[in-house]
Order: sequence, then structure tokens, then C-alpha cells
Amino acid sequence: MHGMEILRNLARRRLRTTLTVSGIVIGIFAFTVMGGVAEHVNAILAGGVTYEGSSINVRAAGDGRSLLTLQQVAALRAVPGVEMVTPSITVAAGGPSRFASPDDIIQSADPGVNRYSAFHLSLVAGREVMPDEHGVVALGTQVAQDLNAHLGDTVYLPIRPKQPAPSFTNHPFTVVGLYSRTRTEPDAFAWVGLSDAQRALQATFPVAIRDKIDASTLVQSATVYGPKGAAITRLDKLADRINKTFPAMHADRPSDIVSQFKTGGEIFSLIAVGAALLALVIGGLSVVNTMLMAITERTREIGLKRAVGARTRHIVREVVTESAVIGLIGGLAGYSLGLIAATVLNSTLASAAGGEIFYITPLLTGISIGLAVALGAFAGLIPSWRAARLDPVTALRSQ
Amino acid sequence: MARLELVDITKHYKQGAETVKAVDGVSLSFESGDFASVVGRSGSGKTTLLDVAGLLLRPTSGRVVIGSDDTGRLSDSRLAELRGRRIGFVFQEYNLLPALDLLANVMLPLRYTRANGDGRRRALELLDAVGLADRARHRPGELSGGQQQRGAIARALINQPDVILLDEPTGAVDSDTAAELMTLLETLNSESGVTVILVTHDAELASRTKRQIRLKDGRVLSDEALVPAALTAVG
Repeated sequence: MHGMEILRNLARRRLRTTLTVSGIVIGIFAFTVMGGVAEHVNAILAGGVTYEGSSINVRAAGDGRSLLTLQQVAALRAVPGVEMVTPSITVAAGGPSRFASPDDIIQSADPGVNRYSAFHLSLVAGREVMPDEHGVVALGTQVAQDLNAHLGDTVYLPIRPKQPAPSFTNHPFTVVGLYSRTRTEPDAFAWVGLSDAQRALQATFPVAIRDKIDASTLVQSATVYGPKGAAITRLDKLADRINKTFPAMHADRPSDIVSQFKTGGEIFSLIAVGAALLALVIGGLSVVNTMLMAITERTREIGLKRAVGARTRHIVREVVTESAVIGLIGGLAGYSLGLIAATVLNSTLASAAGGEIFYITPLLTGISIGLAVALGAFAGLIPSWRAARLDPVTALRSQ
Repeated sequence: MARLELVDITKHYKQGAETVKAVDGVSLSFESGDFASVVGRSGSGKTTLLDVAGLLLRPTSGRVVIGSDDTGRLSDSRLAELRGRRIGFVFQEYNLLPALDLLANVMLPLRYTRANGDGRRRALELLDAVGLADRARHRPGELSGGQQQRGAIARALINQPDVILLDEPTGAVDSDTAAELMTLLETLNSESGVTVILVTHDAELASRTKRQIRLKDGRVLSDEALVPAALTAVG
């Protein structure tokens, strides 16, 4: 069946075709937009899976609110199978709250982990911060955007809130490095030396005890690495070994953390995309209705085609193709509108949301348009079977 | 070998408790180059006979033989294929597809048959033969009734069929156009040797064919060769 023939057939009933296509447009628009959010969340989670799947987080045993000493961290290095241990401090950096994106974080830096972690950061400018440095920071893309910071600038961390508490203080840092976009948590990190991170940690202590505790010997947790490329099952065993050797500490099994990430991602995707799929199914039903009406109107044409040699498979193919074209037109239009909406929203909400909320991936593009075509084709199956079963004599002589 | 042979064809329909015998024991044979008309009153079985001959309808009993192919035991799919390759149809209501231009309409049967050769070139030749070469890119809505019917005749010939069947081909056009169409059919029949079977109410048109088959109540009342009008005028 020629493309022009299909388009002309669709143009014979412009209003009906427009209404039918609109159903698909709305469905694919919703699918693209919601899928963009799901892809954004999935990218964050995927990064988390990669990162958490190649390291072991060790914290104080118990409710997790206690801290570790640097001495405890150092002791972990003696456990067989441990290749590297790095102390870790993560403190809120202030800045705007976001939807579907992590908040800004002050993170203690240790570039040495790149040798062991499956998750690698790369710089677009400047250099990394070393653990023993003071007064310097390397920024992820989200934090850099929030601070409007460039290489060499002086920034103040934590970010001053709109109504700071009387005890709030922040400190100047020189920006020495800027990291490339990862689409996951490290985009929200401000990497500082260990002593600066400990100072930020101390500022989170209750005021009554803040000056009574020496945070320079404390960290929140330790990150332990096995051999580079170690399988997650091997790291699970290493975590078990740490738990057995140091009852005062608790090592999380990487597979448990990864599983939580994946489950969270799947649930989010299901909810986000499920609603859009419902809209799409409704659009598909309108295609079925339209094609059934078209077949009724074109009964004589179908009879003629049968008379000149068309077999069942030819009729089915032509009806399904026309139906798939309706899906394609709706899919392209819906996807385009979704892409425009995502682009506009990303740019207008970027500062409030700290970066893109909608991530329109090539996979999402392919699925959006492919789904529309497949839905259109599927919606054409029942009408096509009805058309193919028309008696040619009756069809030819119908009015 | 006959081009088309109808062997003891019957076609019965159930109408409530009654059985209607639309065609009742018709046997006819058509040779290559035959130009025959099938005439009779409404309800005589002409159209049903044409539908059976064209493999659009399975007879209740009897056989349709096209060339050497006995179509009796063929599947619907094989019948459709045979229709596309060996039979051309022209209907009263032209039945050109409005979404296609005239050239594409003429080439329509090629879409469904495994035809050899350059279909497009042949379609253009046929349009030229029916006097519509300059209308190839026009859509049916831009053509007169006579032009559309000539286009339908070209379509019927695209696969070089054994026989073309015409069901009241002049029923929707004026008398002058009807006469032109008959002239065209006469020319095609004499030049290409295609077998032409024409169902018509129009006695004047029927008199221009070489053989007239009269049906009544589903049976052949008469089957006679016609003397060409020119010869009778001279006589």
C-alpha cells in the first residue's frame, strides 16, 4: 500500500482522523514526559547501583547515628581482601530542595577511589581535591549551577539559607575543579578535604555539645574497596568478614543496597509510566473504532480488491499498515510535544530543581515512537480481520 | 481448449423456508476471442452467473474451468490469485479507488499478483489504448464517468487475463458514452483476442456483440451467434 494512498485515505475524514490521532498524541505525550522523569530517576539509581555495587559502606553498629574514629577506619585496612579504605563524611550543603533529584552535599574527597570503584568521575576543568587539602573544593554540575560557580571562584559552603539560624556559619572555598555531568548523585557533591568535611560535620552537632567534641578524629562511615572489578558476591563475603571481625562496626552487603536501589527504581517507573500507558490504551481504542468505521465506509473498495486478486493477508496487511500509520503520526506528534515540554520545563525549572528533571534518552525515544506504531498496528488487527472476511460479492454491491 | 467453461452450474440460495434457484443447470463454453453478451430480465440470474464465472461466488454444484484449471477444489486464497491473474472485472460503478491516481488504479491488480514484466509501462500502454494517456496522474474525482469506466477497462486488462467480465458497464453513463465504450471493447476484443463477456440490460449494446446468451429463471433460454449489424444492413 502506498504511503500517499494511506495519507489520502486518512484525509478523507479529516476531523475523525484528527480526533483519533489526538488520542495517540495525548498518550505518547504523557508517556514521553513521565518516561523522562522515570529515566532521570533511573539514571540516578543506575549510578547508585554502579557505585554501591563496587564498594562496602561501613558504619558504627547500632542505630547508625554513632560515628567512627579514624583509628577504627585504619583498622579495616588489615582485613584480608581489603584493598583500600577511605573515611567518608556526607553533610547537607544547603541549596534548594528538588523533585526527583538529590540535594546538594558536602562530601569528603579521596580521588584514590577511582582506582577501585566501578563508578568513575571525570573532570571538565581543573583538578581533584586531595584528602589533606584545606579551603578548596571540586564541584559536581548541580552544585556548580546552584552556586553559579566557575573555576577559580570563591564559594561559601554550606550554602546560606534564606533565613539562617543564629549559629549558622559557612566558610570560603576556592573552586579548583569542576566535574562532568553524571546524571546521578555525584552531580550534587561538593568535594572537600577531610578536615573541611569534619568541620562541616561538627557544625551539625547540637549546639550544646558542638564545642565539646573534637570532630577532627571522627567520620560518619568508611568506604571499603576490594580488588578492582571484584564481583558483588565477593564483596558481600568481605562485608561478612568485616562484621565478624569488628562487632562494633556494621558493613552493609553491597547486594542488599543494590537490591533496594533496583526495587525503588522499578516501583517509580511502574507508577510514572503506568499512568501514561493507560492514556495510551484509551488512544488505541479510538484507533480501533476509527478503523472499523473506515472499513464500513470502504466496503466496496475492499470488495474490489478481493475481486482483483487480494487475499486475506493482503487485506489484513493494508488495514494494519494504515492503522500503524495513524499510530506513527500520533507517536511523532506526541513525542515531539513531549520533547518540547521536557526541554522547556528543564530550562525553566533547572534552577529550582537543580538540573534536569526530564531525561529524554534515545531508548525512551525509540520506545515512545515504537509503542505508538505497535499500538496502532495492534488496534488495526480486529478491523483488518473483519475486512478480510467480507464476502466480495456482497461488498462490491454494497452502497 | 476453451478459455472459460461453465459446466452444469447451479447456484441456490435459502430464503427462509424456500430455496431460490438463481442459476439452474447452466453450461456454457467461451473460446478465445469470444465477444458475448448475457441478457435477460432482472432476476434471470445474469449477475449471479457472472459472479460464478468470475470465481467471486462458489456454485452450489457444477464446475468452472479456466483454461486447463478446474477451480472446483481450490481454496479461497487460490481462487483470489486466479481471479487476479486470469480474470478482469469491470463493474457498473467503475470502482476506482479515490485515493489513487488513474495510473495506480490501473496497476492495482499487480499489487496482489506475482506479475512479470514492467507493470508500469504496460499500464501506460493500456491507458494510451483507451485514450487516457494524458489523464494518468488524475484522481477518479477529476474524471468523467466515461473516462473512469475506460480506466476500469484498462485495469481489467493489466494482467493480460483470459477473460474480462463486465457487469452493466454502461449502466452509469449516458448513451453516447455507452456507445464509445462498446466501440472500445470491440477494438480491444479484435486486436488482443481477449474473451469478453458482458452482462447488460441494453438490447442495443447487446446487439453489437458477436454472441448473445439469453437467460430466464436461471436457465439458458437461447445462445446464438449474432450477425454484425453492418452485414445485416447490407443484406
